[in-house]
Amino acid sequence: MVARQERTSLQQTSHGSAPLISVSDLSWGIANKTILKSISLELKAGLFIGLLGPNGAGKSSLLRCLYRYLKPEQGAVLLNGEDIWQINADEFAKQVAVVLQESPSQFNLSLFDVVSLGLTPHKRLFSGTSINDKQRIYQAIEQVGLSHHIEQAFDSLSGGEKQRALIARSIVQQPKLLIMDEPTSHLDVKYQIQIMELAKSLDVTVLASFHDLNLAASLCDELLVIDEGQLVCQGQPKAVLTEQLLSDVFGVCAAVSAHPQSNTDKFIPHITYFYGYQTQEHQND
Amino acid sequence: MTDAMRLSICVVVGLISCFFALSFGAANTPLSEVFNGLFSQGGDEFVQRIIWQLRMPRTVLAFLAGSGLALAGLILQTVTRNPLADPYLFGISSGASFGVVCFIALTGVSFGFSMSVAAFAGSLLSMLLLIAIAGRRHVGQVEAMLLAGVALSFLFSALTSLLLYFSDPQAITAILFWTMGSFSRAQWGTLWLPFTVIIACMTLMIAFRRQLNAMLLGDESAATLGIHVQRFRIMMLLLSSLITAVLVALCGGVGFVGLMIPHIVRYFSPQGSSHNLVMTSLVGGIFMVWVDVLCRTLLNNQELPVGVITAAIGSVFFLFLLYFRKQSR
Repeated sequence: MVARQERTSLQQTSHGSAPLISVSDLSWGIANKTILKSISLELKAGLFIGLLGPNGAGKSSLLRCLYRYLKPEQGAVLLNGEDIWQINADEFAKQVAVVLQESPSQFNLSLFDVVSLGLTPHKRLFSGTSINDKQRIYQAIEQVGLSHHIEQAFDSLSGGEKQRALIARSIVQQPKLLIMDEPTSHLDVKYQIQIMELAKSLDVTVLASFHDLNLAASLCDELLVIDEGQLVCQGQPKAVLTEQLLSDVFGVCAAVSAHPQSNTDKFIPHITYFYGYQTQEHQND
Repeated sequence: MTDAMRLSICVVVGLISCFFALSFGAANTPLSEVFNGLFSQGGDEFVQRIIWQLRMPRTVLAFLAGSGLALAGLILQTVTRNPLADPYLFGISSGASFGVVCFIALTGVSFGFSMSVAAFAGSLLSMLLLIAIAGRRHVGQVEAMLLAGVALSFLFSALTSLLLYFSDPQAITAILFWTMGSFSRAQWGTLWLPFTVIIACMTLMIAFRRQLNAMLLGDESAATLGIHVQRFRIMMLLLSSLITAVLVALCGGVGFVGLMIPHIVRYFSPQGSSHNLVMTSLVGGIFMVWVDVLCRTLLNNQELPVGVITAAIGSVFFLFLLYFRKQSR
């Protein structure tokens, strides 16, 4: 609840001030193929922002450019007005944390070890983990509800628990911006909701790519839609998720109505998909 | 059991092992004489000589070799995220063999310190080739490294075989003995080298322990924690190659330790703490000290090659662990 109030106050103060991230004329490609075409956008601090787009639209590439993994061929990404490639990697990691789909590993790092990796950019080479740091790590683990697994091997956790552990790691990292690249697409619906709501409860700006449009519609303050490497639109969910856009970008026929949890303050769009795309002739064959 | 307790057990076992190891050898020396030889001035001078000049440097070298190779294996398994990675997979030892064979073929000398220098030069050559070929890749660096390592190791083996084919039988025997490994060439004069390299390497590993752990999460995640992944991996590869090259030069080919010890330690203590790191090197050292004892005592008046014993004991023990771990899960 406290986090929510702080979020709205942040939102208010950020109006009119400089954006947290600003992308200008960003292009990136691989082997003569342009993946991102001249994208320009701004992300305001304090918002929970969803990135949508069909498979192959360039969502992951865009996020990678934003978290300094891919260097754009053209254009620039500014974090608080500074080009992210002018900042050194440590400084950048103190401000931007990233949660990816967990990769399986053969080695038994404990949950505690994984979460404590969030300290990496903050620590000098020989410095130990202080009692204060440990406190922060325990707190983060508690915040994601994994205190009872603390000494367990990371690999023995379930998919949802691993993802929560990675979020705990990013809490320890104390970033201003949390970027998540489809962190939940392989999880059950319960965990998809749980993890995205957990991310939203943190007191940071979040940019996450979503697979589930309805989940994005209900959680996000703002949505970005990209298609074929270009930014199609940006805005509040009710403005972005129209039947026209669903047909143009995602190629599905759907009706958009009000979600039962909508109220006078906030309209939550709800998408109902129509089926039957196989043509009649096919069925007769 | 806490990590600190496990670690202190390892230290105690290590000291006891070294002490016991001093009493084994061609001449029969009971433990009491070893104790006297070590700690009191008045004792049998002959026994003292055996212990201080022959067995002690040998035991220390065995310990250093075990701990160094275990550390090198741990580094490589971590930065490549490949449980099969070990110093020998990257062609370092076949490079060393090639160096030795070249040296013998060119000079006809098959003994002495210059052979170690040749081995060192050979492993440096293979390491530099590996980094030149796979180092600059940004995507798929790990795969490129592993494949290039295997290819280099075949290349150097082929060249070695070719040279051996044209060499005389005496040289062939010398090479064969050398590739199977031995601690019999241990001398106080050369021990400082592996000691310094291993201590330096362990210090660096403790300094970079967070970065090493982060590498286990994958290149991309590690990069988002502020690590220059490619540069870091090359640095760690150089470090482990240096350890391996020094040890291969002094003891010949002692395989399997680097692969196995990190896995064994991982069964008992989670990877990631500095405790685990120090423990890996201690367990490696203890293992090697006892392997050397076996080499000296299994046959009367004859030494077995170290490499044979490490591979034999190591693989059986490893299979045993694998089998029982499956059962308990």
